[in-house]
Amino acid sequence: MHIKSPLLGGVARSAGVGYINTTMNIKFRKVTGDLRVNPGRIILVIFALVIGLWGVGSILVSYAILNRDLNENYTRTNPLHAAITSKDFKRLDLTALRNRPEIEKAEFRDFATLRIETHPGEWIPLWLFGVGDFNTFSLARIYNQNGSGGPITPEAGAMLVERDGLRFSNLKAGPPARVRAGGRVVNVPVAGIGFDPAQAPGTQDHLIYAYVDNKTYSKITGEAANQRLIIRFKNAKTKQEVQAAADGLIDYFKTLGIAADTVKIPKFMEHPHQWQLNTLLFMEGSIGFLAFFLGAVLVSQLIAAILAGQIRQIGILKAIGASRFQVFQIYLMMALALGVMSGMIAIPLAVKSGYAYACFVANILNFEVLTTSLPHYMYIYLMASGLLLPVLLSLPAILKGTRIPVREALNDYGINQDAGVKKSKLLDKMRLPVNLALAFENTMRRKKRLAVTVAAMSLGVAIFNTGFNVQQSLKDLLSDVNNSMKHDVQVVLINQISKEEALKYFSGIGNIRRIETWNGGRGAMQNMVVSTDDGVGIIALPYNSDLLTFRSIKGRWLSGPAEPEIVMNQEAAVLYGNPPVGGYHTLSVRGKQLKAKLAGIVEEFEKPKIYMAQEQYDALANPDHYVNSLMFVARDKGYGKVMALKRDIEKAIEPSSLQVLYVMMQAERVKIIYDHLRIILVTIVFLAMLVLVVSAIGMASATSINIMERTREIGVLRAIGATPEIIYNLFVAEGMIVSIASIFIGLFFSWPLSIVASRFFGNLMLEVELHYSFSKTGFVITLIATLIFGWIASRIPAQRAVSVSTREALSYE
Amino acid sequence: MPNFIQFNQVSRWFESASGRFDALKNINLHIAQGNHVAIAGKSGSGKSTLLNMLTGIDHPSQGTVRINSTDVHALNESALAGWRGKNVGIVFQFFQLIPTLTVKENILLAMDFVNVIPGRERAKRVGALLAQVGISQQTDKLPVALSGGEQQRAAIARALANDPPILVADEPTGNLDSKTTEIILNLFTELVGTGKTVIVVTHEKVAYVEYDRIITLKDGMIVDDTGRSRTQ
Ligand SMILES: Nc1ncnc2c1ncn2[C@@H]1O[C@H](COP(=O)(O)OP(=O)(O)O)[C@@H](O)[C@H]1O
Ligand SMILES: [Mg+2]
Repeated sequence: MHIKSPLLGGVARSAGVGYINTTMNIKFRKVTGDLRVNPGRIILVIFALVIGLWGVGSILVSYAILNRDLNENYTRTNPLHAAITSKDFKRLDLTALRNRPEIEKAEFRDFATLRIETHPGEWIPLWLFGVGDFNTFSLARIYNQNGSGGPITPEAGAMLVERDGLRFSNLKAGPPARVRAGGRVVNVPVAGIGFDPAQAPGTQDHLIYAYVDNKTYSKITGEAANQRLIIRFKNAKTKQEVQAAADGLIDYFKTLGIAADTVKIPKFMEHPHQWQLNTLLFMEGSIGFLAFFLGAVLVSQLIAAILAGQIRQIGILKAIGASRFQVFQIYLMMALALGVMSGMIAIPLAVKSGYAYACFVANILNFEVLTTSLPHYMYIYLMASGLLLPVLLSLPAILKGTRIPVREALNDYGINQDAGVKKSKLLDKMRLPVNLALAFENTMRRKKRLAVTVAAMSLGVAIFNTGFNVQQSLKDLLSDVNNSMKHDVQVVLINQISKEEALKYFSGIGNIRRIETWNGGRGAMQNMVVSTDDGVGIIALPYNSDLLTFRSIKGRWLSGPAEPEIVMNQEAAVLYGNPPVGGYHTLSVRGKQLKAKLAGIVEEFEKPKIYMAQEQYDALANPDHYVNSLMFVARDKGYGKVMALKRDIEKAIEPSSLQVLYVMMQAERVKIIYDHLRIILVTIVFLAMLVLVVSAIGMASATSINIMERTREIGVLRAIGATPEIIYNLFVAEGMIVSIASIFIGLFFSWPLSIVASRFFGNLMLEVELHYSFSKTGFVITLIATLIFGWIASRIPAQRAVSVSTREALSYE
Repeated sequence: MPNFIQFNQVSRWFESASGRFDALKNINLHIAQGNHVAIAGKSGSGKSTLLNMLTGIDHPSQGTVRINSTDVHALNESALAGWRGKNVGIVFQFFQLIPTLTVKENILLAMDFVNVIPGRERAKRVGALLAQVGISQQTDKLPVALSGGEQQRAAIARALANDPPILVADEPTGNLDSKTTEIILNLFTELVGTGKTVIVVTHEKVAYVEYDRIITLKDGMIVDDTGRSRTQ
């Protein structure tokens, strides 16, 4: 029954205040009003949301770009499935071949490994490709310098240089470059710059790619053109299918009287440096998830604290007739408003930085970012996570807050004041100057939040320190590489010649202690699954050579000249499916076969290789005791002296008839490996830093919640005479206690984490388990960074605590 | 309507570590519509607990509360919210305005929740209510900018927002000086004149006002009920 009030009539008569409200309006006014009450806290929440969203968003964006674009760059070139060389291809009718059912595309693309002068006196490998027609690539195509279209056609006698090579050489379009082919040096003009995204970046592999027409190829190399056929098969979906198709083709060639010399099948449809990208994407993904998780914990804490401060208001709202749903609506709107605000800041940033990171990686891996507009679902993801994140995170607190009975809500005196917290005890202690005991007691008071804070911070510390340890493991691996090969300069010849012939040019050089001569060639282990493509490099050396000291993985090193024994590196072991050490395997070299015992597997960061005693090799396949590589050991091993030695060696080679594949300093070899790992090392530390920063923000927020909750207590302390310095020091000391606890816990957990991470990254990148290393620098940096972050994270809120006046603090609810 | 508000054998006790504490003991109480009732008693005697039974802010441990033929004790939280919004206006001792909203917005918010006043009439009604409690000048101010007496008048306007038949006030003048107290208490008397049932908890001496009834509590029991039969 409704009772008619005379007031209503009166209302109807009185002239109105402006008509302002729709249903949402007034509730929304409350939301915006509440958000404005404590701007510091709201800024912190938005900041945390922005960091979390930004981090996750840029990872999503760069992931979407990179995941697609490297592969797209690669497949867009129409990469080859197989390359077959033969001297008999003049008998081949290319049109007839192209008409065969299994052939999708076929083209001649000659290839030779020469050397090119990048700086005066500096020679590095040159991979020279002979191209039939620069206008009509049917496969393995290249682009102009910026990847936007076909390459220019170099005029006769000139070459096109791949763009990545410009970064570490003096080469440029216009002036001629000096190229060594066999014993001759030729001047080849650089007609222009091209782009070949299917190749491993030249900067990392320390080589130059160049492209010439057929005639120029013959002129430079002295070899006939059209001796190497590149092919794409129809419907080949696996490496095995390519293999089978290639085998079939070889048989077909036999019927034409064409003998294939080599068949090379690259990794199936994968960019050679896809592994680097996979590692980066994995790191990004896991760190992104972690940052997201930490950010989420932090945001939910802050929102819970905001809601805790609003309990009494919830009581009033309900007392004046708000239903639980209406209260829920108000706080849901608040969470959404936070989401919208942080999304507006974070999403544009995320798109920008995601692109920037993708471009950075693309630049290092030498490919073009092709994604010009992000897929629409990307924006939907970003906006959804921006809006959903704060809503989901605040949902438990909102539900808890709206469910609280009106009577209790009305009786709530603001956020937990831990009413009556042994105040007398506290007061007692306040007579002393601020002491650690008090800070410690305070730190322990809110155990749950403390646990979350310490856990988040420890996680940050653990990951940060693990980053350094993994980096150290990689560095140790590099120094292992350095230590495992004791020679200083290596000269590898294209052909094998007698030892006397090889050595005679170097007798005049000063800084040489001795030269060891090795031989080797390609070979394979038979009866193994993968005996087909490249096989492995076989190195024949004095069994007791002191130039090699590899770390052993299994078994032992070669035991003597008389034993038919081999040792392989772990890459070869992987290639052959981890053959049993101690077992006998049939080795085939230059058409000859030998049953040899696998004595051991060693750790070497190199291509698949098999080592055997010179005597065994010579008896099998080298009756003339030829050699093809010269290992120089310098008398003075200083870097400059070895550099000079290398130049002297180059000088000695120049007028000789030696056909050199490459001359390389051991230090350069290490540098090449380092350059392959550099981007990963940089990213590890960067991401680790990110985690630590997010953790520190988490700590700052936890400290500020503590301070918010204890504002009244601060007032009490001030009222009884605590100076601002005492209070400030109290809160900073609390922060430092959390930091120190986190350092201990974090460092403790970084130990097993580092072991697992080293193993994992080793396997991912190098197919070898990295050994756990403890980084002393990392330890010190972690210690200092955590203390500094902890100090800043508690300093800022502590400053606020001090700036509140005693009266305000006492009346704080 | 003599038995507008009926308490039947209402008890409320609180369990605690030190045992059960009885805040209200077997209260039987009938209040007629349009009455002006004072509830008196020392601090801790159970006045607020009694009001909480009436507004549905708290539930009896035992017994029934029936108001205008609604069994309030039996309503669940969400039904209570709707019922309370339409039927009871509450005024607290500490004003309890939403600090981030202006006076006008505080009143609009209450209208918005309950949604019985048509949207188009709300602004006008706010003006009329503020005029009635005498603070028309403060319409667009935030609560902090108002004096205690003005805040309490704004709170009364808010309690009247949805035109409820019952107005309850828990020590509404406890924080006010005697002059302001007089203004507030007179305002209640005026409201009774417009047909509202007004129930005020007070431990002021009842000097300023003629009440229809003065109910005195002690230790959770009604020890005095002056003027019980006046309207009967
Ligand atoms: N939630 C509660 N828990 C325990 N005891 C309570 C609770 N609410 C009120 N009381 C007790 O009930 C008694 C009556 O309280 P109250 O109705 O608030 O008294 P009054 O308003 O008359 O001062 C008091 O002794 C008080 O301590
Ligand atoms: Mg009371």
